[in-house]
Amino acid sequence: MSTNIFWQESPIGNTERQKLLNQKGCVVWITGLSGSGKSTLACSLSRELYTRGKLSYILDGDNLRHGLNKDLGFKAEDRVENIRRVGEVAKLFADAGLICVASLISPYRKDRDACREMMQGSSFIEVYMNMSLQLCEARDPKGLYKLARAGKIKGFTGIDDPYESPLNCEIELKEKEGECPSPVAMAEEVISYLEAKGFLQNQ
Amino acid sequence: MERLAIRASRPSIFCSLPSLHGGSHRRPLRDGFLTLPTSSNAVDNPKLVVKTSSFHPVSAQASLTAFSETNVKEERINGDKKPENIMWHESSICRCDRQQLLQQKGCVIWITGLSGSGKSTVACALSKALFERGKLTYTLDGDNVRHGLNRDLTFKAEDRTENIRRIGEVAKLFADVGVICIASLISPYRRDRDECRSLLPEGDFVEVFMDVPLSVCESRDPKGLYKLARAGKIKGFTGIDDPYEAPLNCEVVLKHTGDDDSCSPRQMAENIISYLQDKGYLEG
Repeated sequence: MSTNIFWQESPIGNTERQKLLNQKGCVVWITGLSGSGKSTLACSLSRELYTRGKLSYILDGDNLRHGLNKDLGFKAEDRVENIRRVGEVAKLFADAGLICVASLISPYRKDRDACREMMQGSSFIEVYMNMSLQLCEARDPKGLYKLARAGKIKGFTGIDDPYESPLNCEIELKEKEGECPSPVAMAEEVISYLEAKGFLQNQ
Repeated sequence: MERLAIRASRPSIFCSLPSLHGGSHRRPLRDGFLTLPTSSNAVDNPKLVVKTSSFHPVSAQASLTAFSETNVKEERINGDKKPENIMWHESSICRCDRQQLLQQKGCVIWITGLSGSGKSTVACALSKALFERGKLTYTLDGDNVRHGLNRDLTFKAEDRTENIRRIGEVAKLFADVGVICIASLISPYRRDRDECRSLLPEGDFVEVFMDVPLSVCESRDPKGLYKLARAGKIKGFTGIDDPYEAPLNCEVVLKHTGDDDSCSPRQMAENIISYLQDKGYLEG
């Protein structure tokens, strides 16, 4: 008699994880020139979210290239694949209930839009670090602009490769009267957006 | 030796002193008191680097100097040290912060075995049982990852290796987040599973072997694949015309006994949970 009764466990899904974490998973995609402050913002955002008891994780273009994407180089098709994979992982993270902060130059509109397509629309939050090339180059935190200007790196975004700014991003962060806002101020702006859209609670 | 006690709120305080061999990082779980030795030797030039979350005040005990985010630059250590020795650093959130938040430690539960051995069923039961204990899990299934991240891969040998490699790398990221990541894939070759094991810190890769005879898997044939393989319609199918290399040294073996009570999916999940509990993964 008991063999006729099948016990099927219902899977734990998105809804259950949201309830557990008291937040909704999403992807905060920070794009901008090298030196525009993407990693700094990502770090600040992650910290501010943590103080509010929210779980986030930073996917950084650089550290992924040492793990998942270590087989990829910098030729055009590898760059596209790099972004595709980051997008797919970010999607998994968002599905897991995390606030996934992806921080990559991601210069081409087509590639960023493809990532947006992958998510269910509303969970993809594009943050554009609209800082001037002059500001970024003056910072040059990794010394790459100097190398690019000296012709030692080819195809460097902003110098001899284009950056296609977003046409329709959710958040644009820029200099105010020539001054860049503090990382905390910028993080607060992103958090206000997340709060307004209901990502920082379980509905 | 003078002592400097710092009362700090989360997440951490860092004190860099040559006498502490390059630095000493202490992490109070709640507001608490730390005693950091300082040297009265003027040559030592100590620095107090306070890493804490924004706007959380850091104040010192009783008679000692109080440090807060706003006044840390003006305060002095030992009265005669220059204020520029005090540097303000923002800390980034790390793995242990997330462990603290989630009250669990991230790891990868790698469930391996023949098709039809019950990997997905156990993954589902495990995820549910852990959820009931308030633990966050996420399941990476060979099939659903092939529709997203790994959709560019085929079933040729090198692509199968790449499939497993990528899943291993993603599972590693999940473990770093603090999630208990359940990977459920046939993953028939020892070398590929061992490569994934090597990506993670010692102990964080928990290999679970679904030890179920081929005859039992084939009689279940949940996806009809054994039938197709026997008819020669699929080539290189694990168990039929491609080998399955059983683990030599896995953490958990779930052996099919034929007894429904002792090897129900829930019971098997509980076996894995006992292992996780013993190893401390179910606490922060």
